[in-house]
Order: sequence, then C-alpha cells, then structure tokens
Amino acid sequence: MLMFLLRRSLVLSVTLLVISVLAFLIPYAGEGDPARKILQARVNDPGLEPAQVEALTRELGLDRPIFVQYFDWLKQAVTGDFGFSYTSRTPVGELVTPALSVSITLALAALLLALVFALPLGIAAATRRGGRLDNAITFISQSAVSAPEYWVGPVLVLVFARYLGWLPSGGWTGPAFIVLPAVALSLRPLGYFTQVTRAAMSEVLAAPYITAARSRGLSFPVTLLRHGLRNSMLPVMTLFSFWFAGLLGGAVVIEVIFNVPGMGRLLYTAVVNNDVPVIQGGLMLILTLAVLINTVTDLLYSVLNPAIKVTNA
Amino acid sequence: MSEMVEPIVDVGMPRHVAAPLLEIRDLRVEFPEIGGGPAIDGMDLTVGRGEIVALVGESGSGKSLTALTMMGLLPPGAEVSGGTALLDGEDVLAMAPKRLNEVRGNKVAMLFQQPKVMLDPTARVGGQVSEALRRHRKVGRREARARVVEMLRDVGIPEPARRASSFAYQLSGGMAQRVMIAAALSADPELVIADEPTTALDVTVQAQILDLLKTKRDTLGLSILLITHDLGIVSSMADRVAVMYAGRIVENGTTQEIFTNPQHPYTEALLKASLLEAERGQLYSIPGSVAQARAMQHGCRFLPRCPKAAELGITAQCSGAEPTLHICGDHDHHSRCHAAPEHAEAR
Repeated sequence: MLMFLLRRSLVLSVTLLVISVLAFLIPYAGEGDPARKILQARVNDPGLEPAQVEALTRELGLDRPIFVQYFDWLKQAVTGDFGFSYTSRTPVGELVTPALSVSITLALAALLLALVFALPLGIAAATRRGGRLDNAITFISQSAVSAPEYWVGPVLVLVFARYLGWLPSGGWTGPAFIVLPAVALSLRPLGYFTQVTRAAMSEVLAAPYITAARSRGLSFPVTLLRHGLRNSMLPVMTLFSFWFAGLLGGAVVIEVIFNVPGMGRLLYTAVVNNDVPVIQGGLMLILTLAVLINTVTDLLYSVLNPAIKVTNA
Repeated sequence: MSEMVEPIVDVGMPRHVAAPLLEIRDLRVEFPEIGGGPAIDGMDLTVGRGEIVALVGESGSGKSLTALTMMGLLPPGAEVSGGTALLDGEDVLAMAPKRLNEVRGNKVAMLFQQPKVMLDPTARVGGQVSEALRRHRKVGRREARARVVEMLRDVGIPEPARRASSFAYQLSGGMAQRVMIAAALSADPELVIADEPTTALDVTVQAQILDLLKTKRDTLGLSILLITHDLGIVSSMADRVAVMYAGRIVENGTTQEIFTNPQHPYTEALLKASLLEAERGQLYSIPGSVAQARAMQHGCRFLPRCPKAAELGITAQCSGAEPTLHICGDHDHHSRCHAAPEHAEAR
C-alpha cells in the first residue's frame, strides 16, 4: 500500500507537470499578438499605437523567451499564484475559486440526482430482463442519453420559469437556482448510469455467489442488497467520477444558458477575451482536480472490492 | 406402447430405511425454449436419513440440474414439468417461493463445485458463514460472530478468528470449500446436496474435504446427496449409488453391489473408464456421447453406445421398448436394462 502510494504520487507529479505545460501553452495557440488583443479588448479601439502595444508587451513580460515565461509562471503557480486577469485585473485565484465551488456544487447536484433515479431504474431493469418494464426503462435511458443540453435547458426555462413561474430562469443566488441547471445537466448521466447499472447488475445476478447466497435461504431482494449491490457498483463509480471530472469545466452550455457563474462560463469568457492568465489558471486547476478524482477512484476500487490489488499504478 | 408406464412399486425406497428424507419420483425438467426433450426425464431417487447417496454419470446427464431443482434454484429457462420431490414429506417442487426461502439453508443446504467463486468477492467470509444461521435461527449479530469462529474451527480452519474477516481471494480452494461447508451447516440442515464438491481441488485436499463431510455425517446424522463423476470418491464415501444417464436413473443399489455386480452396461462402462481401472494401465472410453440419447424416441437410450446388446443379440428388443428400472440381484439393486435378470423378490 505504501509502495503503491509512493509510485502513484510519482506518476501523479509527472502527469501534473505535463498538464502544466499544456495549460500554459494552450492560450497561446490562437493567432495574433496577445498584448495587442488585450489592449483592443480594454480600449475597444482597433487603431492602437505600436508604442502602446510594445509597452504592454514588456510590462507583461511577453517579450521574454517562452520557456522563461513558463518557468516563471510555474514557480508562482505552485504557490497558488496564477497572476492577474488581463481584463478585470483581479488575481486569477479570486476568480477561479468561487467559480470552481459553483461548478462542484452544480456537478454534484446533477450527478447525485442522476444516481438517485438511475440506480433503482437500472436494478429494476436488470431483475426483469427482456420484460415490459425493462423495455420501458431502456427507452427512458436512451431518450435521456440523446437529449442535448442546449435543447433541454431552454425547454426547462420555458416551462418552469416562463409559463409556470415556479423557478428562476437564471442566476445563482440561492438553492432554488440550482434546480433547473442541475436537472438539465442530469439527464444524460442519468441515461448512462441507468444503462451501466442494468448491465453490471445483470452480470452480477448471474454470478455463482448469488446462487450460493440464495441456497442459504436469503430471499431475492435481500440477496440483491447484500451481495448484488456492492459488486455491481464498480462500473457505476467509474462512470460517476468520469462525469464529475468532466462537468467541472465542461458544463459550458448549461452555465451560459442559466447564467451560472461556474468554471465553464468563466473559461468561456476568458477565451473570448483572450484573458491568458485566467485560461491558464483555470485549466490547470480543472485538470489537476480531474487527475485527483481519478486517483481517488482508483483507490476506491480496492475499497469496494478488496480482491482488486492496489499494486499496479 | 402403453405398457411403458413404469410400475411405481418397483422403484421405491430401500427397505431398511423407514421413511426416506428425500424422495424424488418421476421428476421431469425441461428447457421449453431450447427444446430437444426433457433434460431430466422421469427420474427416481431416494436419500435415507443419515445416508450418503452418490449420484454419478458423465457431464450432461442431468446431475447438477437435479441438485439445483432440489434447491428450488432452477437455472433461467428451466421448468419442472412433472414429478414430486418429497423432502421430509413435503414436496419441494410445489413449495411457494416464501416456503422455499424457509427451507433452503435450513433443511437442505448445498455445496458447489468451484468454492472460490461461490463466495462474494466483496464480503468478508464470516458474514457469509453466519447467513443461514442468522436467517433461520434468529441469532443476533454478536452471537453469530462468536458462532462463526466456532464453526470455522470446527471445519478445520486454522486461526478461525482471523479467517472470519478474510475475503475469498485470500483463501485457497480447499479453505474456501471448508468455509462453504461451515456456511452450509451453520443452520444445522438435514440434507446436504454436494455438487462435485472436490472436483476443483487437488487430490490431497480432496481427501481432507471428503473426510470432513463423512465426519459431519457421522456426528450430525446428516444425509448427503453426493454428485460426482469420480467413482473413486463414490467407493470411499457412498452407502448407495444411483447412476444417471440422459436424464434418468439407469441403475441404483448399494455401493458394494454396484461396484462388484453392475447390472447395466453403462455402469460397467463407467467403471471400466474410471481411474480405478486406469491404474492397471488401460483407460477405457465410452464411445459416443449423451447427446445421441436425447434424440432417441423409442427403446433404450443407451443403445447407440451399448456393446452388450449386439453381443447378446437382443438389439431388436432394446430398440423396440425402453426397459423399466426393475429389481435385479438383491432388494436394493435396480437396473434399467433388458439384459439384467429380473430376479424379483425371490432372492
């Protein structure tokens, strides 16, 4: 176990280093002189004095070789300092931290909602394979999987905010504001979770140890709870962490539609404004979290199923 | 061919046992969606109290299906289409699901071929050992834990307290089967159905497990239906033997009788093909497969593979009418072969 953790942290630091290079370079992938674009964004004037551009370039240190810039950035980044936003001139950390907490809240709300419905649906389908209920559930899950967020979002706004007036259509100033974006985000994972639960549970229910448990007099529901559930949760957990990592910065469409101040919208705005430090810091944070979520998931495998050894990194 | 209906009087229980614990009559199990005739086709079998009965036959003869049917745990697609199976006077085949849950693990328990995969990989061993105990004897969690350690020690597991919190992957095959035995016996059942309990184990462990089972029979008065294809195990374990072929019993009798005086050519062939004979340098293999028998409409199902019919010149009789399971030799010896002499009650 200790050996595993050591090896794992070594791999982790290498991964993070690679990520930092990518996070640093990606904002520069676009065309044009960043200093010029920043000035254009700030003053909204296409005709700029070359001297002005040059001064800003020097001020931001953009005239230095790129690898010097990178190491400078990295040195500060490890202390949690990602510089200042070009557009708002506030520290990147102050922008990213609240956005990330909003995104985590929204992602967890959506995924837990998906799970709460997907588990019973998937289990019910698995226990009645080929039956009418199974077919109905398959239909539901497939519909959920193929419902695009940019369509579901506006429909929810129209129905529950405009016509019924039950819930706010956008913003993020109270618990009620979580409901619509979370529901909109939960549909696709709901479909996938249902399908994976159904498949995993079907397989587990055919396992020999289920027959053995029944042979001791346990009823089917008790057997399912005691021996079926935990064994079928591995793939569901994998998918859950996959979606969790993905939604941290990937809920752009929903965050824009519902005006949610999360990571997706922050990055989207930063890219539009060519706000390099925010893009770098945001990417770095999201990717680091994704890697950490993955690591935790791997550790949880062996908690769920002790037969899975934690030796191979 | 209406005479083919079997005289039930002939196939009754052995006389020396008053009321058998398990009495299977004319059992039929089919896979209607697959077709191809019944997998178990008019099977009769009795297990007396405190008796070890071996059910032998090659793969595909219906042995394991018989075991699962007796547990009320039919595989998907299988259906009981006839017969009765009285367990302590109560028909298992007619039990409601709720009653079956009360009976399983309580009156009848089961052992399986691959002990390691029969244990939940994510649950500790101890919990599974106490499952039947807690389900049927209403024993609390704390007492159950103490009893588990006792039971594990009782089946010969070293460091039982530590082993109780092991997982299946930490056990050897032999240990896993000992755990399964402890789990099966935890609620003190009367009958244990052991489906090839030692096939997956190596030879020395095999002997230990069989010894353990035999000891349990002697001390607890357990009845054991031992399903196996290993005649070596049969000769050392069983009081009586039933030979199964293509979904039916073709011969049964005391172990002594079956081994010294087999009255069915299939039994003879099995004996010749067994490892007991192989030690003498020749290993016989029975030509053909059980599958051929399933296609037979009339006559003896073993005929396509039978050397004796042609030898004795009775092929016409064998292909015309299926022999009944009739008494031959002593009272407890029955054979389903035209060539077996019908010594009735005389002897």
